[in-house]
Amino acid sequence: MSNRVLPRLLQTPAVLLLLGWMVVPLGMTLYFSLIRYVLNSLRRPEWTSPSLSNWRGFGNYEYVLNSKDFLFAIQNSLFIVCSILFLTVVLGVMIAVLINKSFPGQGIVRVLLISPFFVMPAVNAVLWINMILDPVLGLQGIAVAGINNILEVLTNWPILGGFFSLWPEFEPMSFRATQTSAIAVITMVTWQWTPFAVLIFMTSLQSEDQQQKEAAILDGAGAWSQFRFLTLPHLARPIAIVVMIQAIFHLSLYAEIEIVSRGNGNKNLPYLIGEFSNNNIGAASATGIFAVILANIVAIFLLRLVGKALMD
Amino acid sequence: MGRIVLDKVSKSFDKIQVIPPLDLTIEDGEFTVFVGPSGCGKSTLLRMIAGLEDLSAGTIFVDNEDVTQISPSKRGLAMVFQSYALYPHMTVRKNIAFPLRMKKMDQVEIDKRVEAAAKSLNLSDYLERKPGQLSGGQRQRVAIGRAIVRDPLAFLFDEPLSNLDAALRVGMRLEIAEMHKRMNTTMIYVTHDQVEAMTMADKIVVLRAGIIEQIGSPLNLYHKPKNIFVAGFIGSPKMNIFSGPTAEKFNAYYVGIRPEHTTVSMSEGSWKGRVGVAEHLGSDTFIHVHDTGLQDVITVRINGDISVKNGDAIFLTPQIEQIHKFDAQGLRIE
Repeated sequence: MSNRVLPRLLQTPAVLLLLGWMVVPLGMTLYFSLIRYVLNSLRRPEWTSPSLSNWRGFGNYEYVLNSKDFLFAIQNSLFIVCSILFLTVVLGVMIAVLINKSFPGQGIVRVLLISPFFVMPAVNAVLWINMILDPVLGLQGIAVAGINNILEVLTNWPILGGFFSLWPEFEPMSFRATQTSAIAVITMVTWQWTPFAVLIFMTSLQSEDQQQKEAAILDGAGAWSQFRFLTLPHLARPIAIVVMIQAIFHLSLYAEIEIVSRGNGNKNLPYLIGEFSNNNIGAASATGIFAVILANIVAIFLLRLVGKALMD
Repeated sequence: MGRIVLDKVSKSFDKIQVIPPLDLTIEDGEFTVFVGPSGCGKSTLLRMIAGLEDLSAGTIFVDNEDVTQISPSKRGLAMVFQSYALYPHMTVRKNIAFPLRMKKMDQVEIDKRVEAAAKSLNLSDYLERKPGQLSGGQRQRVAIGRAIVRDPLAFLFDEPLSNLDAALRVGMRLEIAEMHKRMNTTMIYVTHDQVEAMTMADKIVVLRAGIIEQIGSPLNLYHKPKNIFVAGFIGSPKMNIFSGPTAEKFNAYYVGIRPEHTTVSMSEGSWKGRVGVAEHLGSDTFIHVHDTGLQDVITVRINGDISVKNGDAIFLTPQIEQIHKFDAQGLRIE
């Protein structure tokens, strides 16, 4: 027995550190979520310092649940996360399969493909919303103006002009509006995270057994059947990894949402926490606990879904 | 039917010709073994027949039909790979059913064929398992089952037993030979193991560097090797080959004598030597004889027990009528 004590002792600092890292913040969040705790209050100055005498029980949770943005924020969180996951996985698989074949310039293409992943999230958001998606100055505005110019030229054609004059003039879209800001966030994050998926899928594809493919060719499997019955099941595990990691990352999206519309029409749970924590730490903590629960549900649910669909 | 004809078939990778133009006919129902040292092009040749490698020139006929440009799956040939190449996430049942499923065959018919194949290969109890839960021999049987259900014109085996342990290899060798007797389908079998070739083949094709050195029945190759390469490759232990004065006595450039065609005596004989290692197999004993003044080591094979030990003096007498003679080019002299 005694020979096990030393290894345990040597492990202790690391284990204690990790435990502290997790338990302390979670404990503090739980504690704050159960008391009245605000940063500023002229009327009730005693609430500005955390203390058990300000006990509120589940009052903060009730308050958060009844606040008008809460359900919307959960819905929107799920919408954004699921859209990004779907797009990155589909695009990632497609691109990875495409560049897995050897072609000239493969090395450069691979490096270029990975590069969006090195852009900082805030920079990514600023670039996309101002330079690409902006209805006037961005690529979008320029492209729409260009299409409208072509339409105008076509309208002046002698015979077919009448047909084209029936077409409406295209209008550039604002991605800072209530209805569209979530789409802007999904677009920019998908752009940034597809390379991550490509990278993981590409390494996995390189370990695919070539003799299995040859056997499948002899068995009469076409390109699609080979993809469906060999490649996709082979990618099941990497897809699960990509889904898991991205779900965790994207549930905490903040910078993009802040930059695109300052949460206007496009809040998620972290953004709601941010808004509450301007003053009401208790409510922010309660929202944080909800976010933890949501993250766990999403992770378990998604993993089951992916595993079941592909391992069949 | 499954008569396969190769007509001036050749293969080059970039500018290196790995298989010079080659003609070969494999008759329907024949068990043909391609044998040769590694890198001799035997696997490439098999993959060309299967359609997994393109031909640089030449034509392949299956039952008088030119299949050179036809896709692998439409040639009616089934292949069993060295690595089994089973689909790891599918059950045994789905693995065996895969080619039929790709043909969009009726599910009832698929089930019938899979069950029949599984029964003939003793896999019925394992149909719901995944390949990862099977032993090497069982996996190889699944791969064979996947080939059988297609009811192919010919089976192609690419070193199917190399990944099995020795005992299993002997068993599977027998099973494949029996399967051939039962089904009477053309089989082409690639191996580097001349024992497999000798025991299974109707016809052996010995290849070296993409060139066919000799085609013949196992015993034909054993008794009448066309050249010195075949003489050395077929037979275990290897034939002893001498050149120089010993060979000149027989009016040849090289002479060869198989280990089993040498008489051993402790008192008298043509060649005197010293025992090196004696390998006792029980039924046979292989003695490696040193210091005969002829070549490095002479191997002899004698029946049963003999009590010799390292360093003993020993006398060898070759059986003159069993000596193989070759000219300076290594070709057989009758």
